[in-house]
Amino acid sequence: MRKLIPALTAILLLGTRLSAQDWTVPDDRKGRLSTFAFDDETRKTGQKLYTANCKSCHGIPGEDNWLRLVPPPGDPASEKFQKNSDGEMFYKVVTGRGQMPSFRTVLSANEIWALISYLRSYNQGYVQQVMQLITSSAYPDAEIRIALAWNSADSTVDISATAVSEKSSVAVTDAEMQLMVQRRFGHLAVDEPRNTDSRGFVRFRMPAGLPGDTAGNVLVMARFTDEETFGSAGKDTILRAGMPSFNESLVAPRAMWNTARKAPVWIILTYLGGVLIAWGFIMLVLLKLRDIFIIGENSTLNNK
Amino acid sequence: MSEKKKKPAEEKNLDEILDTSRRDFLKKVGLVGSAALTGAAALYSGYRFEKEKHSGATIKVLTEDNRLVEIPVEQVKDYKPGLKVYQTRGREGIEGKRWVMVIDLSKCRNARKCVEACQDAHHLRPYEYHINTLVMQESKNTPRYFMPKPCQHCDNPPCVSVCPVDATFKRQDGIVLIDNERCIGCRFCMSACPYSARMFHWQEPLAVEGDKERVYDIELNVPHKKGTISKCLFSADRLREGIMPYCVSACPNGVFYFGDENEDAVTNGTTKETVRLSELLEQNGAYRLLPELGTKPRVYYLPPKNRIFEFREPGETEYKEQHNT
Repeated sequence: MRKLIPALTAILLLGTRLSAQDWTVPDDRKGRLSTFAFDDETRKTGQKLYTANCKSCHGIPGEDNWLRLVPPPGDPASEKFQKNSDGEMFYKVVTGRGQMPSFRTVLSANEIWALISYLRSYNQGYVQQVMQLITSSAYPDAEIRIALAWNSADSTVDISATAVSEKSSVAVTDAEMQLMVQRRFGHLAVDEPRNTDSRGFVRFRMPAGLPGDTAGNVLVMARFTDEETFGSAGKDTILRAGMPSFNESLVAPRAMWNTARKAPVWIILTYLGGVLIAWGFIMLVLLKLRDIFIIGENSTLNNK
Repeated sequence: MSEKKKKPAEEKNLDEILDTSRRDFLKKVGLVGSAALTGAAALYSGYRFEKEKHSGATIKVLTEDNRLVEIPVEQVKDYKPGLKVYQTRGREGIEGKRWVMVIDLSKCRNARKCVEACQDAHHLRPYEYHINTLVMQESKNTPRYFMPKPCQHCDNPPCVSVCPVDATFKRQDGIVLIDNERCIGCRFCMSACPYSARMFHWQEPLAVEGDKERVYDIELNVPHKKGTISKCLFSADRLREGIMPYCVSACPNGVFYFGDENEDAVTNGTTKETVRLSELLEQNGAYRLLPELGTKPRVYYLPPKNRIFEFREPGETEYKEQHNT
């Protein structure tokens, strides 16, 4: 008990200290709204996503059975959670903090909105505000074309984004883009997200020593971070932006653990030498026995 | 008298004749009818088959050597690899890969989801482990922490060196596997492994439905055999499909990173965030277990610093404690 009280106090203090650090959401993100109206279908999708991604810590909403962590994950059906605006919830899911992981690369924007629509079903007084202008693209009737170019001199990738329609072709300005490189199990973000300039250009710096294939080719992907506005517009290109890699197979070297064919030379020689010596000795004995036999034959002949 | 007798007999015969002929007739009609029907059906199905055959419907298929080919739809058959295929590809491994795992000890709070997912995949009992989370304490006055410990998939594996029957082997992508069909159960490898990663099957395999008909998959060790060894396989069957291992995907706390060393990138199983392997190891002071033995493990550990959870005895979950007090 004596130990328990200070320990509990410490935990409580730590808890309050952490929770006192308000999770502030930038003002421009607070008012962000979903581009679609929440309905039973979005709530159903959201429930599935919640079970797969959030339930292990936050528990079942309304049941108050979240994991007792410091800081506490809390119940999404609670008043404290529901006080958040849609935009604030969205921001927190995307960025994460402390033990709450960032879901930026796990869930798409529309999936996060579906998740929020599910959580809002636990709020009786909630009335959804849908984004007034629902457009699938910031440039209606235009096709967004993205071009990538690799500058080997300064290891940068130049990207230009233009919205091409029948009538005109305009540069996509001030849109945040992210450059990624494809890896086996995910996309590796390269450099920070950057905004396109007035001409629709943006430049990313490729990290040094990023392995490509044997020729140094890597699959580079350019994406807009604002999925709601630009949809899934993006561009995948193979660029010679990586370091050529020549990695031999891990079973290529001669080693004790490798197959008999790949055994170290000294083992093969020692083994073969041992076998030769053993068989040589057996042969020698047999030869000597033969000699003894011949001598015996001769002596019996002489004695006769 | 004889005539009198004959007449009814004749009549009867006539009746009989008439009756049998009717029966015969019906029989014949039935026979001919059914024969005609069968023939028509056969003709029709043949016609349909021919029509389909010449419909020119094709499907695009990616071959094993990455060629896109077009074949007629009716030639498509479900592919089920046999034992020989499993054994050959299982021995070779995946070309151009060097799998690597990073375990962040600062995030592990003994949720044991990795253990459960592994046991579920490899049909193990609750007390049979390919991966286990251990309670660690370096010395009396240092903190305790949890450490998930799978097979280290060493680049210099002592277990493979000692195997007398070539049952355990290393592949080109770095995975150390066991062939339960070859294993004689001598347990040399168990004693050679400095990480105690291997387990012996003392019992008949856990009876899971469908296991009897299942072809033994060397990359999954299912169905395994009594009196042989098994251990963590880095979920070689999943890697072939391009999915991260069972334990890595099951962790709710972001403990595991998995990836290809040749690409210098690892992906977190929980957050799906991909990071540079070299940076992750460099920035977090990564280490490997028992490096002095020269086994060169393919599993890296990040030290248990800045942990954000309280250490609890295994079995005592946070939830339970909250509700008991």
